[in-house]
This record gives sequence, structure tokens and C-alpha cells, in this order.
Amino acid sequence: MADSDLITRAAGGDAAAFQALVERHRSMVYRVAYQFAGNHFDAEDIAQEVFIKVFRSLDKFRQDAQLSSWMYRIVMNACIDHRRRTMPSGAAPFGEEAEHKMMNTVEDTPGPEERAYAGELGQVLEAEIGRLPPGQRVVFIMRHHQGLKLGEIAEALGLAEGTVKRQLHAAVHRLRHALNGAKVTAGERA
Amino acid sequence: MSCDLQAAGTIELYFYGELPQPERAAVQAHLARCAECRAALEDLAVIRAALAKRPDVATPPGGDWSGFMRRLNVAVAAEPSSRGPLDATPVRPLRRQLAPYLAVAATLTLVTFAVLTVLNRRPVPDTTSVATAPPTAGAAGAQPLRQASLTMTNPDPGLLAVSGEHFERSKLVVLGLVTKSGPQDDWAYERDLASSLLGDTRLYRQAAEERGMQPLADVMGDLELVLLQTSMADQPNEASLHQLQRLIRRRDLLTKMNAY
Repeated sequence: MADSDLITRAAGGDAAAFQALVERHRSMVYRVAYQFAGNHFDAEDIAQEVFIKVFRSLDKFRQDAQLSSWMYRIVMNACIDHRRRTMPSGAAPFGEEAEHKMMNTVEDTPGPEERAYAGELGQVLEAEIGRLPPGQRVVFIMRHHQGLKLGEIAEALGLAEGTVKRQLHAAVHRLRHALNGAKVTAGERA
Repeated sequence: MSCDLQAAGTIELYFYGELPQPERAAVQAHLARCAECRAALEDLAVIRAALAKRPDVATPPGGDWSGFMRRLNVAVAAEPSSRGPLDATPVRPLRRQLAPYLAVAATLTLVTFAVLTVLNRRPVPDTTSVATAPPTAGAAGAQPLRQASLTMTNPDPGLLAVSGEHFERSKLVVLGLVTKSGPQDDWAYERDLASSLLGDTRLYRQAAEERGMQPLADVMGDLELVLLQTSMADQPNEASLHQLQRLIRRRDLLTKMNAY
């Protein structure tokens, strides 16, 4: 049965249809959530939030829209909401300006130099991905893990393609910087 | 970064294969004479290779979706616009599964109340946190909660029911902690259980907040704090155990949970 049919049925009160919808898309949602959060606990939290939002919005889904795009947008918002909720109290930003800050503020975790002592570039990159601002992280994950093209990401997230390109560029720039720092550190220690 | 092509993100588009052919040819020509862009391209290849080794995690641990679906089922059933549970196996079968544990919890409750009654007659001063202890600590603190519960406007009966069951499960942790006496007691079981209950607790707290059921949300918040600290105790020792016991006592958590 097509997604659009399942949504129509679920919106009409068919619990089995909603369950089928969840079962069909939960792996995609969990995969993105895990790549974003880096652990099962938060990934499950985000994935739960996504499907609750989907449930609340069943009536609003436009039949001519792509379900995957709609769901990606919900996943991205859930990731950012989750990051906001888990920020230290008093630091949670609100409003448009703060939203921009949220999308671009660096996470305060140990820097790549500290991680480089482990000697594994993969670990350095992993740590740096965890430090990416939420907006950059989502775009980067969608490009590298989901293999979506910039246009597809822009459509899915409802952003201009130029914005996606800038977010991705900023993310890659940060990762390259971390990578080069690790190379230098590893070279000094060799 | 001094090269314009790199600053504009063009090298990345080239790397991703997203440049149209004429531009692609121009970038190839540029790469032949720009060491900076060649280095960028090399870095991108290293990043891609490293990311390829990153685990692709698309399911909860062990590929077991049952806990996820059960929690989602509870959350969806508690939605104001709920169309009913997702399937026919939600809360009640779980209760049956937990029946043996609940029986243990009930027994522990009796034992603990006996212990607490004795302890309340001989109060021990809290030397580390007296200054921060809230004035409502102790059994009297539960009274406003009961009143607040009764005066909640439009409490959601479904959420109250699942919260009551959740408190029963959580008592296994709380009671287990308050009845331990020292480092010789292993509390790995309580830590594991606390970790598994944390997600539900957070979910119920958020649901209570969204419905304006603040007294319930407050108790869930207190429980969440205890479960979080329990699950995060990497090296459980006497000091951390006592800290948790003080927290449970100060928040009067057991009495508050029993109010539901």
C-alpha cells in the first residue's frame, strides 16, 4: 500500500495503518537520529518525537507532497528541538535570532587536539561531527550518510539551495580543520 | 583559505559530483595548478573514507523495536486527538509481564516504610546539604501534592493510569536504593533498571507538562533526576549511594509516587 494511502487511513483513525507507516520509516528516522545524536538513548528520544509529530500532523499532510521530504523536515526539527532541550538550563535560546544561533553555535566539548592523541583520524572526525552546530550537522549527515544531493536536501528541509550549500561548506571546513590539526598533532608525536 | 573556488564551496560540489560538465572541466584544469584545492580534495577523500567506517545504526540495540513501539504506543494513546493504540499489545500485557517484579516492589514498600518510620523517629542531620534542603522536605511535603493532584484541571486519566504503572516499576529502583546500607551492597541491578526507565520517565514528564498536569510533571521530574544520577554512577560507592538516598529523602519521592 502506498504511503499516501496509509496516511489517509491513519488520519481517518486506522491504527494499523499508522503502525505500518511507522514500521516502514522507523529505520530511516532512527538512522538519521543516531547519526545526529551519536547514542541510542537520544536517538530513540528523537525518533519517538518524530513519530508523535507525524501522528499529530497526519491531517495536515498534503497528498501531492513527498512523504520522505515531509519526514526529513520533521526529523531535522526534532533533532534541533532535542538539542535545545538538552542544553544547560538558562542557555536555551528562543526566537529567530536565537534559532540562527542554535543552528550555528559550536558545541562545547573537548577539542580535536585532545582527541588526536588517540591516534585515530576517525575518532577526531567523530568528535568534530559531534561538535558541529545542529543545522550543519543535519545537512552534513543528509549529504554523507543519506547520500542526498544538495537540491534534495534543500527541498526536504524547505531551505534555499544556497543555504544548504553554505551549511555544508561550513561543516566540511570545520572537519578539514580538525583533520589537519590531528595530522599535525600525530606528526609531532611521531 | 585563499583560493576563491574553495572558499565558494565549488571543490566540494566537484567532489560530490554535483557540478555540470563545463564547470567540472574548468575545476579539473584549476586543480592541476592549485595545490590548495588538491589538498582540499584529498581531505574530502579522507573524510569520506573515515565516515565509511562509521557504524550504520538504524535500529535500537539488538534490533529490538518492541520497547520503542511500546513507548510510542503509550505516547500516541495519550495524545488528545488519539485514534487509539497502535496495536493490541500495549500496557496491560506489560503489566502482566512485570507482575513478579511488582510483587517484589510491594513487599519492598512495606519493608521500606517500616524502616523509614523508624528513621523518621530518629532524624539524622544531613551534614552536606542542610543549607540547600527545601523547607517542605519530609512527609509533610506530600500533602500539597495530593491537593494539587485533586485540583488539576482536566487531568488526563490515561496519562494518570500509565504514570501510576510507571511509578510502580520505578519503585524497584527507588526502594532498592533506600534499602541499601553500604558499598558491600551491589546496585548494578538498580542502575540498569534506572537506565531503562529513564526514557519513559522523560516522556511522561513532557506529556504531563503539555497537558498542564504540573504536579505529576514535578514528580516525574524528581524521579527523572534520581534515575539519571543512578544510571550515571559509573563507579558506585558509598558516597554516591548516600547522595542518592539523601536526594530521594529530600524530595520525599516515595511518598509522592505513592500518591498516584
